[in-house]
Amino acid sequence: MIWQQFLGLAGSYPLALRGLGMTVVLSLISLVLGTALGFGLGILRTGGNRLVGSVIGAWVDLIRGTPFLVQIFLIFFILPEFGIELDAFTAGIIALTNLAACFICEIVAAGIRSVPSGQVEAALASGLSRWQRMRQVVLPQAMRIVLPPLVGQYVLLIKDSSVVSAIGLTDLTRVGWLVVQRVPNGLLVFFLVGVGYFIVCYPLIMLARRLERRMGAAHGEVQL
Amino acid sequence: MTKPSLTKTGMIDFRGVNKWFGALNVLKDITLSVEPREVVVVCGPSGSGKSTLIRCINGLETIKNGDLVVDGQRLGDPATNMTRLRTEIGFVFQSFNLYPHKTALENVTLAPIHVRKIPRAEAEHAGRELLAKVGLADKVDAYPAQLSGGQQQRVAIARCLGMRPKVMLFDEPTSALDPEMISEVLDVMVAVAEEGMTMMVVTHEMGFARKVAQRVVFMDAGAIVESGTPDEFFSHPRTDRSRAFLSKILRH
Repeated sequence: MIWQQFLGLAGSYPLALRGLGMTVVLSLISLVLGTALGFGLGILRTGGNRLVGSVIGAWVDLIRGTPFLVQIFLIFFILPEFGIELDAFTAGIIALTNLAACFICEIVAAGIRSVPSGQVEAALASGLSRWQRMRQVVLPQAMRIVLPPLVGQYVLLIKDSSVVSAIGLTDLTRVGWLVVQRVPNGLLVFFLVGVGYFIVCYPLIMLARRLERRMGAAHGEVQL
Repeated sequence: MTKPSLTKTGMIDFRGVNKWFGALNVLKDITLSVEPREVVVVCGPSGSGKSTLIRCINGLETIKNGDLVVDGQRLGDPATNMTRLRTEIGFVFQSFNLYPHKTALENVTLAPIHVRKIPRAEAEHAGRELLAKVGLADKVDAYPAQLSGGQQQRVAIARCLGMRPKVMLFDEPTSALDPEMISEVLDVMVAVAEEGMTMMVVTHEMGFARKVAQRVVFMDAGAIVESGTPDEFFSHPRTDRSRAFLSKILRH
């Protein structure tokens, strides 16, 4: 019985690979875009312009305070009402990128705020421009605070990508739904789906842990 | 609003400058002129506004009213490019504020390369010479965390000199140092003063003041109470407040 189910699953192997591929591609694109956007937003958020800062803050709160599933539905079903047609893949990328950017914005802003004000004053006093202060003095020091939670956030976002299956994208989770209709063993099928996600996420979890340890050690070294 | 005449101004000119932190009048009607090549020591009890005074000069603090003209440029004037003016003003902080992720040499060359647009090789050559001048030729590649406080402050002074500033401001440069490291920093400051640098130094180091300062300015409660040569001020203070202050710093 179990053996037959295993054989049935083996037949779904190509589908599963495609689903895993979709999950990886979707995550990769939206994490790259979301990281770039998140750094930009985080820098703007702490940039001193109160209006810009509070608009970004409000958007971040809104996104963090609503379920990701609802956000995806809004993008996928509501935007066409306004004449913006999106395929499921684009909608998924937009939703995930936006989510990633909002979480990463907060992480980056916290990192920037952790840099002592004396550092900014020293850079200011030597005539560095706003961008040079950010690029040469603030960001390199903020990165040690930013990196460990950033990688941790990547793991959360890869897992959140499973929600895009709700709008019909054939990612790893949706493959699970498709297969379980043919092989009626939900426990086994979704166990394997879980293993798929874990294989993608585990290296990142290890990386986050290593970064945390390294940053911690480096930090101790600075305190004389 | 009176525009200051640009014909007769010192390197730094305060005229009737006031500043408030909330309701607190931290600078009261400050009028003070520092001539080129002059070394002025500012002293006074903590909270007297002396740090605020020199932080105003490079715009780390803004003034409420009055005129502050530095190197012929009026602060707060839309025509004054503050970023450019700051390249002419070196600032040495009490807590050094070296960039911890950069080596001593990188700390010194950062602004010359990115602000002055000096070619890297040239800036590094000049940086090595400056670090040698402050006695740290062997610490070029050290990170701030690997240096003692006195060494860090000497790197910070070299970092300012790298920009070839017209003025250098020192905000209690030896207050955060262990006693045995104070003289190595003061020696460097004396050398800089003897080369003709215009300097304003917030410090209680009387030996330094006597050696190189033309003038000592004593501040209390946001106002300049007394001003005179080091000899006049330390030997014959004219006000009760300066006598009270001197008796405290002389006691040990």
